[in-house]
Amino acid sequence: MKKLLEINHCRKQFGGMEVLTDLSLSVEESRVLSIIGPSGSGKTTLLRCATLLETMDGGDLIYDGVYAARDVDGKAVYASPPELGQIRNMFGLVFQNFNLFPHYSVLKNIMEAPMLVQKRNRDEVEAEARDLLEQMGLADRADAYPYQLSGGQQQRVSIARALAMKPKILLFDEPTSALDPELTGEILRVIRRLAEKKMTMVIVTHEMAFARDVSDWVVFMNGGVIVEQGDPREVIDHPTQERTIQFLRRMQEQ
Amino acid sequence: MKNKKLVAIICCAAVIALLAAAYFIFFNKPAKINGGKFTMGIDPEYPPFSYIGDDGEYTGFDVEICKAACEKLGLDFQIFAVNWDQKLVQMDSKECDCIWSGMTILPSMTEAGYVISKPYFDNTQVIVVKTDSTIAGPADLEGKVVAVQNGTSAFKMVSEGGDQEALGKTFASLTTPESYNTCFAELDGGAVDAVIVDQPVALDQIKKNANLKILDGDLGSEQYGIAFRSGDAELCAKIEEAVAELVKDGTYAKIASKDAYKDITNNLIFLNDAK
Amino acid sequence: MTLMTMIAKMSEGMGHTFEIFFLTLIFSQPLGMLVALMRMSKNRIVSGITRSVISVLRGTPLMLQLLAVTYGPYYLFGIGVARNKLIPVVIAFSINYAAYFAEIYRGGIESMPVGQYEAAEVLGYTKTQTFMRIILPQVVKRVLPSVTNEIVTLVKDTSMAYTVSYLEMFTIGKQIANSQTSFLPFVVAGVFYFVFNAVVDFVMGRIEKRLNYYR
Repeated sequence: MKKLLEINHCRKQFGGMEVLTDLSLSVEESRVLSIIGPSGSGKTTLLRCATLLETMDGGDLIYDGVYAARDVDGKAVYASPPELGQIRNMFGLVFQNFNLFPHYSVLKNIMEAPMLVQKRNRDEVEAEARDLLEQMGLADRADAYPYQLSGGQQQRVSIARALAMKPKILLFDEPTSALDPELTGEILRVIRRLAEKKMTMVIVTHEMAFARDVSDWVVFMNGGVIVEQGDPREVIDHPTQERTIQFLRRMQEQ
Repeated sequence: MKNKKLVAIICCAAVIALLAAAYFIFFNKPAKINGGKFTMGIDPEYPPFSYIGDDGEYTGFDVEICKAACEKLGLDFQIFAVNWDQKLVQMDSKECDCIWSGMTILPSMTEAGYVISKPYFDNTQVIVVKTDSTIAGPADLEGKVVAVQNGTSAFKMVSEGGDQEALGKTFASLTTPESYNTCFAELDGGAVDAVIVDQPVALDQIKKNANLKILDGDLGSEQYGIAFRSGDAELCAKIEEAVAELVKDGTYAKIASKDAYKDITNNLIFLNDAK
Repeated sequence: MTLMTMIAKMSEGMGHTFEIFFLTLIFSQPLGMLVALMRMSKNRIVSGITRSVISVLRGTPLMLQLLAVTYGPYYLFGIGVARNKLIPVVIAFSINYAAYFAEIYRGGIESMPVGQYEAAEVLGYTKTQTFMRIILPQVVKRVLPSVTNEIVTLVKDTSMAYTVSYLEMFTIGKQIANSQTSFLPFVVAGVFYFVFNAVVDFVMGRIEKRLNYYR
């Protein structure tokens, strides 16, 4: 099966501290990958490197066979800005804090990027945006402003905003962490529905049960390296590494 | 990235160029001097020498004399209201051709190279107090609050280096409002005990305000003259000549006899000399 | 002098007061934004120079700057002084206010959460698009109260133009006050500034209200 995202030998330092050490992973089309691990394990940094918000010190970053960065003598050499622009079109990112544009209505939040960046036709984009809102159960909130929505609703809008760009792969950075516990369900339901529709996704999450149910592959990170990975039922229900066992026990206690 | 920097630099350059262009277009116009034109620099806040009349136009003793002199010389008479603190700068930069506005002649002006006319007015500084005041002379000002208009001759006289520096030091405090108007308002309102001011101004005030009186005896005197740019000695001589003619043909005395100027007629040197 | 003559004479200067006010507002806002961007430039030389210029402009009296702009060129280069004083006055005011606006804008821009930039970046907005569409509109809303403060100050600062003998309303009022031994012109001036600022407050309030559609 075709690999949509490939990261090889990724290295990243912050002020002399190694945050990611020779880390490799790949995601195949229509698969869902979950990344779990304690805070400070480097999983958010990994996601930020993958979405070009941070630059890797070394390693390859490849989207659907196109190199965003190529490792040359241990240094990551990035593609030209126009090429990176093309690559940004391939993925979408959902933030922990939604990062909706507060001065735009829900509809404009979703519609502006496809029209402005992809230069698509307004009518077509609007029809799609309304369709996406329908799927998110927010058809009646198209003209609302972000501050008028609950956290869960805002996160659903931000997922719609990412989907409107028709990405090949969608990445989530702890999409439920900023939400009240009773609101996490609605987001997880949306992601599950996307998985059923065979959307390729990478999810950094703390929701163990959800990761086990929805993902095809799970990666446990600690100290900037992948400690254990495999089938979610195997990793989460029968971990083999001491660190994984400790982490999962602590998560259960909470 | 490089493109954006370039755009930013071009933007900056454009703004600077625009400002510079505006500057040169409007600044490079040659200042008009003596091309048949004579611009008198006045302090429009100094009655009765130069002020705004009831009709809203500039008038005053100096203004009328200058106008008449220009008529004699066939010059196109213009008025420019200076900011008194900047008067010499403004004359230097050719906004006006002279400063003629009850201006005290200071040695420093001649030292700086300005051409100064013969004095035409002998000024005297006097003390103004309320009619019921116990102050009878300069000695009684000890421990009192005194007001002088900022920057005026009276101010310089009682400040450090002035003729009456020692007297100034006896005051409890010296307040220096921006206008003599304020000085008298403070005196009237009881905020200060005395005001030191040019005699003509004082005469004008006590006429309007029965609560005030002028103490006998003066505090030193000074003289008024006209200032010209250095190098304009010829222009100065011409104006002096024209004024002398005005004195001779009686126009000078006629203007001085106007009711508005009667407080200063006693100090006019040319008229006193003629007597 | 009758009150009517006084008001008529002073209103001749009000036109000039309005000119200083509006022209300064028009020029200083974009100039301030440009200066703010230069101040935040990653180029150390650009930001360093901009910073010193701002500190000189904010650290010296407007009166001195007016004198420097009006008479400086004459003394330095022998360039004649502008007949129309509006030009140097507006240049000096615009530069001075641009320095204040620049610091306000900088504060506004720096207070924007990083997430807004990142969301736009991931969606493929260019840097210019991000600034013009996402950042600037939100910054405008954030800085509006401080900008209103500066505008109110500007209304009153127009009277500083007397320094270079520009006959705006207050200069004329002062001349009449001392010529006619009367405080009435100051009362007229006070009422004028108060009404002017009431209008400014009203207009800025309306703008603030219009931007209140989101939080």
